[in-house]
Amino acid sequence: MTILGADPAEHLAQTGSRGSTSLLPAKVHVVRTGAVGPAPGSPEWEIQGWDDHRASCARTRSGGPWVLNVVAAAGLTGHGGGHFPVTRKWRWALDQRRVDAVVANGAESESLSAKDALLMRLRPHLVLDGLLLTAETLGARRAVVWVHAADRTTAEVMQAAVVERRWLSVTDIDVVCAPSAFLSGESSAVKRALSGGPAIPSFEGFGRDQRDGTAVTVVHNVETLARIATAVTESETDTPRERSALGSRLVTILTPTERCVVEVPRGMAVAEAVRQATGRQPPPTAGVLLGGFGGHWARWADVARRTVDTADLPRDGWSLGPGVIAPLWEPACGLAETAAIADYLASESAGQCGPCLFGLPALAKTLRLLRDGKLWRDGTRRLLRDVRAVDGRGACHHPDGAARLASSMLEAFDGDVDAHAAGHPCQDSGRTTLPVPAART
Amino acid sequence: MRRRRGAEPQQLLVDPISCEAVGLCAHTVPELITLDRWGYPIVSGESLGAGQIRAAKRAVRGCPRRALGLARVDDGSG
Repeated sequence: MTILGADPAEHLAQTGSRGSTSLLPAKVHVVRTGAVGPAPGSPEWEIQGWDDHRASCARTRSGGPWVLNVVAAAGLTGHGGGHFPVTRKWRWALDQRRVDAVVANGAESESLSAKDALLMRLRPHLVLDGLLLTAETLGARRAVVWVHAADRTTAEVMQAAVVERRWLSVTDIDVVCAPSAFLSGESSAVKRALSGGPAIPSFEGFGRDQRDGTAVTVVHNVETLARIATAVTESETDTPRERSALGSRLVTILTPTERCVVEVPRGMAVAEAVRQATGRQPPPTAGVLLGGFGGHWARWADVARRTVDTADLPRDGWSLGPGVIAPLWEPACGLAETAAIADYLASESAGQCGPCLFGLPALAKTLRLLRDGKLWRDGTRRLLRDVRAVDGRGACHHPDGAARLASSMLEAFDGDVDAHAAGHPCQDSGRTTLPVPAART
Repeated sequence: MRRRRGAEPQQLLVDPISCEAVGLCAHTVPELITLDRWGYPIVSGESLGAGQIRAAKRAVRGCPRRALGLARVDDGSG
C-alpha cells in the first residue's frame, strides 16, 4: 500500500487548522457501521505521510522525565473512556521494576466510536510519536500498536507508517492485530494477550503492584498518545493557550446515514457539536445514547445545553465515554434499542465470570420481555434485580456497562417503560434504528 | 518481602474469573458473604473491622479455587 506524501501546504489548506495543533480536519464523514472508511459521497481520505508530519510537528528530542512534566502541566487524561490521568498511570509504571511494553490501543471496544481508527488512518505518525515518547519516558523495551483484525486497512496504514520511519526508531514497534471481539480492546485483555495469553480480560484486583520483577505493560488509547505528542510539540513551539489542541476532544456523532467525527473544544455544548456535524437537531423529546453501547441513555433536552466535557454532564458518573453521541433521530423505541444492545453485549461476554456469563443473558431476556410488553406482574422490579445481579461483579467493566445502559433506560424513557410494563408496547418497538451488530450465537 | 498492612483499611474481594460458584465461602462466613441466584458470592466492598478481617481470612483460606482475597480499599492504580 502506498502512503501519499501530501504537500504540507495543501494539507494545511485542507485541514484549515494546522496553525493550531488540532488532530483532524474539522469534520470527517465515516460509514455508519463496520470498519471505518469514508462515507459514500465524501472524498477519499489522505494519509499524512512522514514528510508532511515532520514538517508540521515532528518531535525533535527523545522522551524522558521532561515529558512527564509537560504532560502533567497539560493535565492530560485518557481518551479511551475512563478519563484516567496519564501521569498517574506513568508514575505507577515508573514505580515498578520494569516496563515491558507501551501499547497504542486502537481496538477500543465501542463499535459506534470511529475516532480512534480515523486518527490512525489520517495521522499514523502522530500516534507513533506519542507511542515512542511514552515508551522512551517509561524506559519500555518495546512499543505495540494494537488494532482490530477486521479493520485491515487501518492495520496496513499503521504498518506502512512504521516501515516508513523505521530508521528513526530505537524502540521496536510491532503492529499486532487483535481478534475482532468487543472485549479485545479492554486493557487487561491487551496485557494478557501480549504476554502470551488469550485476548480476554484478566482480574487485576488483588494487588497490582508487581515489585517481584514481573514486567508491566502500559496501555494508552491512540487519541491519548496523539495528544501526548501534541502537548510535547506545543511545549517546544510555545503555542499560545488559545490555539492549543489540549482543550479539545474527538467526538463521534451518529447521524441517520453515517457517523461524523468532529474535534470540538471541551467547552462546546453537545447540541452545538451535533449541529456542527449534521446541521440539524434531534427532536427535544428524543433519547440520546451517550458513550456507546456500554454508556447510558439520556433525554436530549437534559444534555443538549451541557458541554461535551465530562465534568459538566448533569449527573455524577455520566460521561461521553470515548466521545460517542448517538441521538435517536427518527421515532424509535428506546426499549427496543436497549434490548438489541443488551443481546449484543451478552453475546460478547468473554464468558469467564459467572455473573456476566449468566447475568447478561438474563438481563437481555428481561429487556426483551419488557420490549414486547410481556413482563407481566413482575413489572420493572425484575429488571432492577437483574441489573443489581451484574453491576460491578465482573473482572472487567463489561457487565457494568450493560447495567448502566439498562438502568439509565428506565429513567430516560420512563413513560414508555410504564406503558410497556402495563402490557402496551409502542408501535416502534418492532424495529431498531441504531446500528447494533448481530449477536454472536 | 512481606509488608505489614496493619492500619490500612482492607476489603474482601472475589476474583470472578477463578470463582466457580463452589459456595464454601458463604457457609464459612455468612455474615460477610451471600450467594446470588447462580451461586456466585456477593461481597459488600466495604472496609472490614478487625473481627471481620479474621472471619474474612477464614473464607480466603477455605476457598478451593483461591478466588477470594483481601485487598486495600480503593488502591486506585489504573
